[in-house]
Amino acid sequence: MTVLIGAMLTIVVIGISQSNGQKGPVFTKDGNLVLPTGFRQWIFLGGPITPNGLNGGNAPFPEFHNVYVEPENFRYYRKNSIFPEGTVLVKELVLTQVGPYPDGSLDSASGRGFFPSVLHGLDVMVKDSQRFSSTNNWGFFTFGHQAPPYKPMAKVMSAGECAYCHIASVAKTDMVWVQFYPVLTTKTE
Amino acid sequence: MQTKQYVAATFVGIAVLVASVALFRTKSAVAQTERSAAVFTADGKMQLPTGYRRWVFVGAPLTPNGLNNGMANFPEYHHVYVEAQNADAYLKTGTFPEGTVFVKELTRVLNPTFPDGSRTEPSGRGYFNGEFNGIDVTVKDSKRFSKTNGWGFFTFGHHPQPYDQTAAEKTVTECAGCHIANVAKTDMTWVQFYPLLRGK
Repeated sequence: MTVLIGAMLTIVVIGISQSNGQKGPVFTKDGNLVLPTGFRQWIFLGGPITPNGLNGGNAPFPEFHNVYVEPENFRYYRKNSIFPEGTVLVKELVLTQVGPYPDGSLDSASGRGFFPSVLHGLDVMVKDSQRFSSTNNWGFFTFGHQAPPYKPMAKVMSAGECAYCHIASVAKTDMVWVQFYPVLTTKTE
Repeated sequence: MQTKQYVAATFVGIAVLVASVALFRTKSAVAQTERSAAVFTADGKMQLPTGYRRWVFVGAPLTPNGLNNGMANFPEYHHVYVEAQNADAYLKTGTFPEGTVFVKELTRVLNPTFPDGSRTEPSGRGYFNGEFNGIDVTVKDSKRFSKTNGWGFFTFGHHPQPYDQTAAEKTVTECAGCHIANVAKTDMTWVQFYPLLRGK
């Protein structure tokens, strides 16, 4: 039975065009969030990067933070400056290629900078005003800061781990760091 | 034991549901992206691609001006997109299908406070996306671009919006030369910077 479940989840997770799956969050009966699928075909919002080399070797979110949202929720935010109930934001972490400079950067044909190497983790936030009323309507989850496979499900993080920082810094923009995602606020393709 | 079986059954149920939705949605995604192949004018210029924000984002190399004497060749973030079916084809075969289009959307970094262009935010010191700053495109068309390994290179400007609406092919020395020298073996694409095109 376990093998069967594993196989089926794998089918859903691998590939790019076939994994265009889910709309909105999926919770287990006991309130855990099921690993989102299909997010690489959502809208890419931006890729902040906090390199380990600029953060004492230990960035809290190593290193690229590639952030995705479903197209309909993207359109809704651009129109209303707020995300609808059920919005899922996925942040996939990607390590940089290790370079010779102290900041971790390297010289490539296109210049000195930071270049993606391998996938390294998945954090998720979900808007649900009933479930997460005590943290400004958003719940925060991590499926691990490590190479795939990511954990198949995650329980909500305590307010002191994630939500507090969003409440302190970005409560006015629906708990999302929209200042880092110009695509949400700029007229563009 | 019964509880375990119930949980397992629920899981299978969820998996089946998600898989069905995934399969159903795939069809519509393909239908949406089919119309976005390269469009050329009568005199061989390429039209600014549309719809690429619905394509698959494969990676964001970053060459900050602050690390490149104030003048990076591609300032500064390079957000790279390709259509899902072309990414899947590459993962299967190691080459991109005819008609594949890559879009590289440039953005500046947000308000630097350190000489290297970085700034400090609650998530740490680093770089964050600023304003849009240009579009570069590569197109695979082995007839049209036979002299440059089957790929044509275009830029619609390295500057804030609005971008140029059409672009003439760049000369070999401006773009293709560097791709031929460095990434001819991976179909002229820097797949080493795009984990999704390496399957990890």
